[in-house]
Amino acid sequence: MIKSKDIKKNLTGYAFIMPQVILFLIFMVYPIIEGIRLSLYKINYKTETFVGLKNYRDLFNDPVFVKSTLNTIIFVVFIVGLTVAFGLFVASAVFDKDARYVSFIRGSYYIPVMVSMVVMSMVWNFLLNPANGLIPYLTQQAGFSSVNFLGNKAIVKPVIIFITFAINVGQAIILYIAAMIGIPNDLFEAAEVEGVSKFHIIRKILIPLVKPTTIYITIINIIAVLKIFVVIQLLTGGGPNNASSTLMYYLYNNAFKYNRLGVASAVGVIMFAITLLLSVPQLRAMFKED
Amino acid sequence: MLKKRFLATIIALSLILSLAVGCSSDKKNEGGSGGKGGKDKVEITVMLTPQWKGVMDASEEGADFDSFFKEAAKRFEEEYKEHDVKINVEVVAGDQRDELLNVSLNGGNPPDIFYESIFAMGDYAHRGALVPLNDIVDDESKKDIAQNYWENVTFGDDIYFYPFSHMPGTLVYNADMFKDAGLEEYIGAETEIKTWSLSEYEEILNKLKKDTPKDKYSNAYPMSLYALNNQGDTWNLAYLKMFGNKLYGEDSELVIDDASGVKAMEWLKKINDEGLTNPGAESVSSNDANSMFQNQKLGVSFTNSVLYNNILADMKDGKVPAFDARLANIPSESGDPITFTYVTGAALFDTGDETRIKVSKDFVKFFSTDPELVKASKNGVPVRTSVAEEFKSENPLFAAYDENAKYMFNFTGNVPGYSELRQVLYPELQALYTGEKTPEQAAKDYQSKGNEVIKSAKEDSVIFNK
Repeated sequence: MIKSKDIKKNLTGYAFIMPQVILFLIFMVYPIIEGIRLSLYKINYKTETFVGLKNYRDLFNDPVFVKSTLNTIIFVVFIVGLTVAFGLFVASAVFDKDARYVSFIRGSYYIPVMVSMVVMSMVWNFLLNPANGLIPYLTQQAGFSSVNFLGNKAIVKPVIIFITFAINVGQAIILYIAAMIGIPNDLFEAAEVEGVSKFHIIRKILIPLVKPTTIYITIINIIAVLKIFVVIQLLTGGGPNNASSTLMYYLYNNAFKYNRLGVASAVGVIMFAITLLLSVPQLRAMFKED
Repeated sequence: MLKKRFLATIIALSLILSLAVGCSSDKKNEGGSGGKGGKDKVEITVMLTPQWKGVMDASEEGADFDSFFKEAAKRFEEEYKEHDVKINVEVVAGDQRDELLNVSLNGGNPPDIFYESIFAMGDYAHRGALVPLNDIVDDESKKDIAQNYWENVTFGDDIYFYPFSHMPGTLVYNADMFKDAGLEEYIGAETEIKTWSLSEYEEILNKLKKDTPKDKYSNAYPMSLYALNNQGDTWNLAYLKMFGNKLYGEDSELVIDDASGVKAMEWLKKINDEGLTNPGAESVSSNDANSMFQNQKLGVSFTNSVLYNNILADMKDGKVPAFDARLANIPSESGDPITFTYVTGAALFDTGDETRIKVSKDFVKFFSTDPELVKASKNGVPVRTSVAEEFKSENPLFAAYDENAKYMFNFTGNVPGYSELRQVLYPELQALYTGEKTPEQAAKDYQSKGNEVIKSAKEDSVIFNK
């Protein structure tokens, strides 16, 4: 009796959150459930055949999938690590300097973030293309043997890591500078009175106090790098011989080129699980702080 | 208070309702009689990948890739008696075709008509997504279009594409560069498709490397080689046939892993290692190669009849520096040239709407048989003997292509899963060029991976499982 009374009382509130809940259910929850369902089926336009976990078994037996998973992990570890380390380094070096100088640094690192990933990939392609790119041309003119930055199995991963890092790092720098500017000044004054070195200020004051920002940057970058696709598609096509293929690229090929929707959904489910696993402990840590 | 709450509830509900209405989609064929003259209104979509520009010729004002179909649609809309038809024409990029079609098919909303090379669309016939066109092919057309083109468009017992034009694939060479490198004796006539023996071809490549004047052609390479993705891979398949390999066996399986296939892989690796090709073949695309040839950075490259015409047209318009570009055949060890063609034509997707399918069939028949419209096939090479005869004098290369026809090979083997099979070849070529795999390993792996693809596609093929 009381319950129904409560519901009646809050009806307006429920009605107001309803559109958002409906959108969330339609565009977030339903696709996830549908993705999980499709991963258990073999789909051929008009027919859907239940195949249980066959798609998953096929995936783990496919060397390209295993390679793509390993590549994705390598990209996540190095790109996220580099972004956090370099972001911290640049931000701690400039945050307490003249405001105009800080703005200049922020602006210069942020420009690549604003430009579309497609455009940036095309610029890098123009620089690195072995047949008609600028860098191979210059190295050749300088008398060095030509290096194929995109076609050498040993070099291609570091090149992709560097390019993605260079495009993304601006955002981390902006967030870190904002967080560091927000740290109360008396802490730095106390450190100055104590005669603490800059290195110790960074280690004992800056890094611990910007921890929530570090966690946030880590999470959003892990999620972004897990989905790394445009650079791969436009620069290497996953090559040479799948040396730079990633989970997202593998998913894309299966879904849109081979029309294996079931397999692609299985990859999607695995990526979803990985993201969830990686994010949960970090999100928990973030909420604990509060 | 109660009134206020009631009002708020009403507003919230109407918000939801308006969202739901916003989400609903509009249908193409309403089936009502809202059209002109009391006839039913029917709307169909024609999609095509870039083929030729203009209705009849690229020199027309405002010529674009959709000009022909827009003109055909305009005439059809005027002349069609049964319904009030509206035809939408959309051009889609070749490398976006499969993404677009797979998404629209899975969403139950495929285009009505798709005009493209048959080789790229055969899989859709195997997957049961296309409607057979047997009933719109009349005897007159069967006579006018040679049997080998009908074979190209027949899967199992049914015709799935209406052949319109074809584009033979050959090599193209820079005759000016040949002259400058002292290779006059190997230059053919302007209207000839020159055939070289394999040893002559190797001599050409070596001489181009050694004697091309560096001041005139800086950073130029003898031949194009690419394996970034599946674009232009038919030439790579043709190179794999240079030593006599058949590509496909009796049971539609790959047979590349034999002495002749391995020898071809070795040859590709050799010319790559000796610097007779552009560097970095593993990360160069056919598009890169084509623009390099246009900028005179390559002596020999790949082309087809439409691409070749476009290069010549661009030179004429001053878009690229003009030079003497001529055609040659892909050489082979036996001395017989290797050649292939892309037959292009329209296919009909099964939209499940009988009226739209009927109108689409009538439209395909209209532009594929109309005596005026079929003349546009001269932009490629006409499949109709009558059209080829008519334009023979205007385009002397038609005779040369005709002469070549006897050396043609079917590069798809009409095997199911061909589009996925294409995704297997270029990674193996990349591994070959980077030295990750030996020619033997690359041949072996391409065959085993390719046969797996064919096997699983056979299981799903509606044509194999009839």
